[in-house]
Amino acid sequence: MGESWFHREFLTPRRLVFNVLFYGAHFGLFAYGWNSQATNVKLAGLNTLKYSVWASRGAGLVLAFDGGLILIPMLRNIIRVVRPKLTWLFPADENIWFHRQVAYSLAFWAMVHTTAHYVNFINVERTQIRKQTALQIHYTQPGGITGHFMLLIMLLMYTTAHKKIRNQCFEAFWYTHHLAFFFMLGLYTHATGCFVRDSVDPDLIPTFPFYSTEHCLGYLSWRFIIWPGIIYFGERVWREIRARKATRLSKVLVHPSGAMELRIVKPSFKYTAGQWLFIQIPELSRFQWHPFTITSAPEDPYVSIHIRQVGDFTRALGDRLGVGPSDPQSGITRGDFVELDPTVSSITLPQVRIDGPYGAPAEDVFNNEVAVLVGAGIGVTPFASILKHIWYRQRKGKLGSLRRVEFFWVCRDAPSFGWFQSLLQEVEAAQADRNIPILSMLFQPANFLRINVYLTQKIGEDMLWNIAVNDAGADYDPLTLLRSRTMFGRPDWKTIFGQMRQAIESGQYLPGSTSQLKTKVGTYFCGPGVLAKAIKEACVENTGSTVEFSFAKVRHNCLLNPRSWLINFHLL
Amino acid sequence: MGNLVWHEYSRFVSITASVYAIWAAFFGLFYRKFFWDFVGGTLRDPGGIQPSPSAALFITVIVRVPVVQIATMLLGMTILAIELPLPAVKKLSLHRSLVVRIVLLLFQVFHTILFYQGTNAAIWSLISAACYGRAVMLGEEMAEAKDNRGKGGGV
Repeated sequence: MGESWFHREFLTPRRLVFNVLFYGAHFGLFAYGWNSQATNVKLAGLNTLKYSVWASRGAGLVLAFDGGLILIPMLRNIIRVVRPKLTWLFPADENIWFHRQVAYSLAFWAMVHTTAHYVNFINVERTQIRKQTALQIHYTQPGGITGHFMLLIMLLMYTTAHKKIRNQCFEAFWYTHHLAFFFMLGLYTHATGCFVRDSVDPDLIPTFPFYSTEHCLGYLSWRFIIWPGIIYFGERVWREIRARKATRLSKVLVHPSGAMELRIVKPSFKYTAGQWLFIQIPELSRFQWHPFTITSAPEDPYVSIHIRQVGDFTRALGDRLGVGPSDPQSGITRGDFVELDPTVSSITLPQVRIDGPYGAPAEDVFNNEVAVLVGAGIGVTPFASILKHIWYRQRKGKLGSLRRVEFFWVCRDAPSFGWFQSLLQEVEAAQADRNIPILSMLFQPANFLRINVYLTQKIGEDMLWNIAVNDAGADYDPLTLLRSRTMFGRPDWKTIFGQMRQAIESGQYLPGSTSQLKTKVGTYFCGPGVLAKAIKEACVENTGSTVEFSFAKVRHNCLLNPRSWLINFHLL
Repeated sequence: MGNLVWHEYSRFVSITASVYAIWAAFFGLFYRKFFWDFVGGTLRDPGGIQPSPSAALFITVIVRVPVVQIATMLLGMTILAIELPLPAVKKLSLHRSLVVRIVLLLFQVFHTILFYQGTNAAIWSLISAACYGRAVMLGEEMAEAKDNRGKGGGV
């Protein structure tokens, strides 16, 4: 928060490049659109309207450009395939951010374009260079009708897309945003009817596109910008087909504090650790898709997601399964769970459909010697899958160059993530597992995985004594039931990374590592932006000739429920 | 499903509509035109629509002297002062009245519908007033602003 707007927009190299390219392209197109109208001798008649017509043509061209751009960040499947090859270009899942930038630009240029046209039409009426009234152009011609209609759609889409509205009623945003279909139709047909012409009457022809380019001298931009729209439409159809492939909810595990673990069997669904999916439960809502992080590893015979009952959708699911807030829950203690299995009990499970996977895979964890995984708060969820995956690979002895894993979990109060604790317990217990092949044990230090839990909430006196009494001499930490002790307060990243660097350099951290080779430490983070910055700084500061700390954000994978997803979405 | 707080939603529509109204009225100062002048008006070439004599009153307050446009700008700014809100207005109970908003927005509809540039602002203001109406029907109330909000140095 401390840095100024100027610092953020202009002194960060990547952002500076974006600003120069993005706004440079916009103003460049505006200037081109303006100039090619102003200097076109064929359009001398229209040019008697002067500045207003030049501005409207320029802004119109920019709007066409934005209309072509706005759908591109929404091509989720294409982005998922293309992005890993272009990581140098896009630092992380910036697609929603980019979508918003285009939307802001669209609103601004729509203002310029509309204002200019209001001036154009009143002057057309006064000078009668076309024998029409202003209101005839506004409300009886395709350009005017689609234009006003698009403005109304924009009003509805922008207002419901506000963070506040999405948080309180995701549905209002979700359904209203599908007006984009009509917006796009309006955009592609906005310039029909031979609006920009050098003839007295529109030169319409009976065959597609129903105007002759001899006298209709628009920019014909729809021919270029319609393609993202067609591809997007195709992608939505493809997602629908894919979602209809055989899917079965095999069982539901209910963890303490009401977190539900859905285990879904879908053989056609292939994913890697750290990705997320959309789930639809037609019984609760026929059209809604809700994003959740995948918490199972690719090796598991099922796809699992963990759902906390915090929003209306997730609570409705709890009620449907008979474990909602209104149902009495008895007998679930920490680290325990209740299984809802239709083959054993009389309960029926709802139909589900899943769509995905999306998001960045974290497969490159295995290219580092040391992996530092940092999950803050709800941002811990993608690491469930990643840790499990590492554990599976560890059992098979296929860890690549990975020698040690440091897992940091920073949260306000750990007990509210009961389900994650039980998962961590499994992973921790597995470290002492004798099933790991002897050979791979030889190449691993004894403490391959270290779990560091930081609790940042303020601790009252009662709790302090409680911890003091229960902690002394116990094998397990009283708060998390892990072998690793919980630490209190915020982690000091510079010290942690500094110590790690010293330990690596002195050869204590990775026994047997030769000092002339550069040790690669990969940092993976999911959580709020403020923390990301602190960790990134610590990475940069401690990178030296022998140790290289790299920083990767697994950012938008932080989804446990749509609300927290949205919140995380915008913190980053 | 979903629990839309209607007055919180309507606030965004109201702000958008009022900004549009102010901008439209500002341009209405330079390009003055009575929106309904086609009713009984005659089209002259050049010169545009000549309104019918029965519209003389509107021509006086819109074209001769831009009274309606100026009033719209003031009204739009008033609504923005309540909606955003202006620090001074924040303390008043007026700031929390949904009915006052509906009345002001309906005034805005009647003003903006009169001049050429204001049509969209009128429709949008009407939508906002309707959403506030829905909020009142559902018995929604605005919470009092917390004193420590927006001040530096707080916890």
